[in-house]
Amino acid sequence: MTLLSVSDLTIEAGPPGDRLRLVDGVSLSVKAGETVALVGESGSGKSLTALSILGLLGEGLTPTAGRILFDGRDLATLAPEELRRLRGADLAMIFQEPVSSLNPLVTVGDQVAESLIVHGRASGAEARERAVEMLKRVGIPEPARRARQLPTELSGGMCQRVMIAAALISRPRLLIADEPTTALDVTIQAQILDLLAELGAEAGTAILLITHDMGVVAETADRVCVMYGGRVVEEAAAVPLFAAPRHPYTGMLLRTIPRLDQPPKRALYSIAGNVPSPRDWPEGCRFRTRCTRADAACTALPPLDAAGEGDRRAACFHPLEGPQ
Amino acid sequence: MSAAAPARRSFRAADLLSWWPAWLLFALVLCALFAPWLAPMDPDRQNLLARLKAPGFEARGAVYHLGSDELGRDVLSRLIYGARISLSVAVLSVLLSGVVGVTVGMAAGYLRGWTETVLMRLVDIFLSIPAILLAIITVAVLGPGFVNVILVLALTRWPRYARVAYGQTLAIAERPFVRLSRAMGASPARVIAVHILPNIVGPLLVVATLEFGLMVLFEAGLSFLGLGVQPPTASWGSMLSTGRNYLATAWWIATFPGLALFLLVLSANMIGDRLSDRIGKG
Repeated sequence: MTLLSVSDLTIEAGPPGDRLRLVDGVSLSVKAGETVALVGESGSGKSLTALSILGLLGEGLTPTAGRILFDGRDLATLAPEELRRLRGADLAMIFQEPVSSLNPLVTVGDQVAESLIVHGRASGAEARERAVEMLKRVGIPEPARRARQLPTELSGGMCQRVMIAAALISRPRLLIADEPTTALDVTIQAQILDLLAELGAEAGTAILLITHDMGVVAETADRVCVMYGGRVVEEAAAVPLFAAPRHPYTGMLLRTIPRLDQPPKRALYSIAGNVPSPRDWPEGCRFRTRCTRADAACTALPPLDAAGEGDRRAACFHPLEGPQ
Repeated sequence: MSAAAPARRSFRAADLLSWWPAWLLFALVLCALFAPWLAPMDPDRQNLLARLKAPGFEARGAVYHLGSDELGRDVLSRLIYGARISLSVAVLSVLLSGVVGVTVGMAAGYLRGWTETVLMRLVDIFLSIPAILLAIITVAVLGPGFVNVILVLALTRWPRYARVAYGQTLAIAERPFVRLSRAMGASPARVIAVHILPNIVGPLLVVATLEFGLMVLFEAGLSFLGLGVQPPTASWGSMLSTGRNYLATAWWIATFPGLALFLLVLSANMIGDRLSDRIGKG
């Protein structure tokens, strides 16, 4: 069953008349209980896509086209108050910077209990009790004592656990995790990912995981959407995508993962050039200026189903064939 | 601003002394609270036989420690009772203008859009009018009196708080924890009250302390002009005003309330400076 379906989402910045398109016709879907990874470099529009699902785009950013259906309801038609009641209850989000995402003046326990209190699901002592229980579930030692501390007394990894506890305490149906491990040590990263997967599965929570780290994707995702230049360029189940990427950009992303089975001292692979800024997006395929396979045909914009079969799709006229 | 507890230092006598402005303010508050017990005489009782007597004058067993005024009232007693007026007007007007200003500023800073434009232009308009002039005009229209003075001072001073609250709210609203609380479904009112307000209290406190000194002066100024608290109620400003006429013959009538005003405003400002050094500029 499709829980979240985003279709043709377009997000623009700036005043009318001088609009800059940052997200350009993104479509993706998340089924109940599934983990979908949204992958891309900085500036590809993945975080904006996520924020717009919650209706939390910042000042000056407007979704100008597209539809977001959550559980069959069009989020754009909901009153702000209805959307607010969805947030934190059915639809939760965690963010990149675990330490600064917690209010420095509110105790950890109160912040974990926030969504219970906000939505009137529990109050006072009961909310606090459930917060302590949740802190214990995310693996924080001495949860009762920690609950009374301020976030500044906790490490970054602990703060991320606290944020996960806060997001999952209401057992949401969808959790959007925006780069949840980027700010953490590698050793902590794996723990946090395992925790997310475990608690998500337990509560039947679907996860939309936003990341630029292909290693993280490989560990957790059922399905992957690769974004480049404000568009989805490839969508596939994780295993076939890693085995045989179709879009050249995906292929290059996979080659950037350092490997231990290659001779040492070999230069690490990097994709030549930078992600063009939205003002400099080329006509047609956004990736063609960095792509080795580009030709004259690529000056036309390839649709997402230009290549691919079954439930996998790639927006490329010259897709890669076979394992890379 | 860090929430980490500052390293504890051992308290020394020098530290306590260096906080003399706070002690002085505390002493004045005690004076105001316990005026009926502290004042040696009834501040309004006239004794026309003991007019304009110098400090230390004794009449019928009562000592006029700071002299007597033109109606033979004890200057010390009037000074002590006057502290009640100065402090209560200042405290109440700071509270009232603070509540109004902070509400306006935070609403503008958090809600943005039209709310922001309308509220902040209103603030600009108020700030462009000289405060004391606005106060004088409004009192002249509303009529003098204790309550009116407080209302007028709040009316003229709330934009200061609105400005600071607005700027601070803009800065805090960008912080990731505000975004997280919104993602948790917190209502605008809750985000403002629970997540933003506690984080901007510091700078607001600095403004309030500095404003407190200003309010004392404004009240004295209005009373000096006869627009404040009305006679016979003792107010430092009105004491200054009448004392001015006798400066050549009875210097004590104007000098002691002047000195009291000076010390109160000085200590309020020094406390404000201290706070702003610790907390950051308001």
